[in-house]
Amino acid sequence: MPTPALRCQDLVKTFAGTTAVAGLNLSVPAGAIFGLLGPNGSGKTSTIRTSLGLYVPDGGHVELLGSRDPLAVRHRVGYLPEERGLYAKMKVAEQLTFLAAIRGLDQAEAARRAHAWLDRVGLAANAKSDTGDLSKGMQQKVQFAAAVIHEPDLIVLDEPFTGLDPINTRLLKDLILEQRERGATVVLSTHLMEQVEALCESICLIHRGRPVLDGVVADIRAGHGRNTVAVEYEGNGAGPLTDLPGVRRGEDTGQEARLEVDAGADAQAVIRAVVDRVTIRSVRLEHPSLEDIYLERVGASPSPAEEDAS
Amino acid sequence: MSPSQIAKVARREYLTRVRSKAFILMTVMIPILMGGYIFIMPLLFTSSGTDELRIAVVDAGTGLAPALAGQLAAIEQPRIDVAEQAVVPDDSESVRRPYTEAVLDGSLDGYLVLTPDPVIGAGSRYYARETGNPVMLRDIERAIEATLLDRLVAGTGVDTERVRAWQRFDLEAVTVSDEGETEGGFEAAFFSTFALAMLLYMAVLINGQGMAMAIVEEKSSRLIEVILGAVTATEFMTGKILGVLGSGLTQLGIWVGALLLGVLYAAPMLAMGPDLADFDLGAVLSVELILYFSIFFALGYFLYSVFFATIAATCTSTEELGQAMFAAVLPMVVALMSSFYVIANPGTVATRVLSLLPPFTPLVMLARVNVLTPPLWEIWLGIALLALGIVASGWLAAKIFRYALLMHGKRPTLPELMSVIRAG
Repeated sequence: MPTPALRCQDLVKTFAGTTAVAGLNLSVPAGAIFGLLGPNGSGKTSTIRTSLGLYVPDGGHVELLGSRDPLAVRHRVGYLPEERGLYAKMKVAEQLTFLAAIRGLDQAEAARRAHAWLDRVGLAANAKSDTGDLSKGMQQKVQFAAAVIHEPDLIVLDEPFTGLDPINTRLLKDLILEQRERGATVVLSTHLMEQVEALCESICLIHRGRPVLDGVVADIRAGHGRNTVAVEYEGNGAGPLTDLPGVRRGEDTGQEARLEVDAGADAQAVIRAVVDRVTIRSVRLEHPSLEDIYLERVGASPSPAEEDAS
Repeated sequence: MSPSQIAKVARREYLTRVRSKAFILMTVMIPILMGGYIFIMPLLFTSSGTDELRIAVVDAGTGLAPALAGQLAAIEQPRIDVAEQAVVPDDSESVRRPYTEAVLDGSLDGYLVLTPDPVIGAGSRYYARETGNPVMLRDIERAIEATLLDRLVAGTGVDTERVRAWQRFDLEAVTVSDEGETEGGFEAAFFSTFALAMLLYMAVLINGQGMAMAIVEEKSSRLIEVILGAVTATEFMTGKILGVLGSGLTQLGIWVGALLLGVLYAAPMLAMGPDLADFDLGAVLSVELILYFSIFFALGYFLYSVFFATIAATCTSTEELGQAMFAAVLPMVVALMSSFYVIANPGTVATRVLSLLPPFTPLVMLARVNVLTPPLWEIWLGIALLALGIVASGWLAAKIFRYALLMHGKRPTLPELMSVIRAG
């Protein structure tokens, strides 16, 4: 197995008595898009900052791209923080050039790539504008470009989709996939479950500074809880489908039914039983969505603190 | 610490400072204002708009009018044309009315009224629409003095020229030091100390404040998180300070250049002015002084930039920064205040101690150099301590930077900072 792009072992970070990260173990496989999930205040941002060496851990250790010293590999990491900003009074191209240069590119190469990236995200015409004059979405694209412009091996994106319109959301998704194609590892921290399901191969769900669930998304969904059979059918008055053997519970409107399959039962048998009883328009076997799992695991417990404990 | 990372941060900071409107305005305006003050103001005073003044001499019983008219005729700039001499009974308003009317309708520029005085022979008043030219008033005053003196010594055999030379007696102050003798005393010291104080104060305030605001902006916009992902807090701080130091040295270079040009080209011009021939710019501005000025400016600027950066790192908003900035400027204000004491008491123990305390050294030591040149070892001890002070405060600042840069919402308290510094 190749070296993980990021590995946290028994990681602890406390702020003035508040524990933000409580003995976290985490392994991000190289080359994957990895989802870091969790409610507000669960310790995601603290985990990221500690992993990247912005905070010094109070316990445990971090291996970033195989190195115990985050400073040694800083130019191989790209980071888009959740709360982000840019120099409002600086020209867009100059700004991107500067951010590329401090990530290890020489001035000329930084300037060349800055212009190429502005072109790529549709901001070539704004290269000479003051950054403060750009819309929030435009600035976000500049910030994303700044995080990947030096072609890092590990890219950490904290809530990258917030505030983007559908067109730019699509663009960003494509750009993230492009980075993976290039061979980079992407850590995506987000609340948006659709994005996680669409992009991430593996996830880690953090709650109160501890992982409550982690692994490959498909495995989690397959292995997690019960499957559901969703049916659309022509009603024939043969009684509710929720009575069928192997169905734990469900709902049936007479035209549509969602049937939760018992833990030990065979979903295929349930489907056959449905086919026998009614005329089917469509039938679908659903794994529980990540959102369902998220809600089940994290529950309705209110988050104790705001995201940023610092 | 990686020099190339520091250089990149410094480059951005330098370019941002140097391109700022405040920097350009100040760099250009200071030489213009100073040049204006030194060269243009005296010229304005000496060459009052008109070349010739038409005045009347109105004598209310002194009998001095003809003699005074002769003295006034000797004045060259502006030439004074005594259009009328009159003897009147007194200087009451009704008597003066025709002359006042002549002034108001423009047929006269002004008139002098002479009244008897039992002690010195005459009192005099000058009535005119424009009385604001001090050089012309002084010329008229001298003419009256000369007239009175002539009458006083008439027939005694005393040479009036000798008396007038005696009147112009001037005590010359010469500063004696190991390097020799320098002319010019309090005024020269005051001038250059005050000039350094103002330049340092303004340069630090404008550039340092610009940098401090940028740091707070980086903190509050959270851009700092991106930057600290790429450069360490120490590299970031060092780059910031070097960038702002570069902008200060650029400014200093431009100013010193402008000053040298001024001395080379404008000073000869200046010497042609009638009353400024005795103003010796060379006595005020020696090469040695410019050298010390540059050293103390650069080091003082450096030290205060560190102060500003440190204070900015602990602030979370520009409002907080505005209040906290006072703490950084305070030592400079104290130094400026105490330099008045220093100029008057250059040799006291208090002065010597003060000049060796780094925040005060730039202004106080320069004042000492100006007034009573201290032993060379003391100057260089001051410079060395100042450099040491910069290193020490930079070391403290780096610790505070590492701790405070990622803090938002609340400022670190002093006890927190102390524990950070102790923790190492």
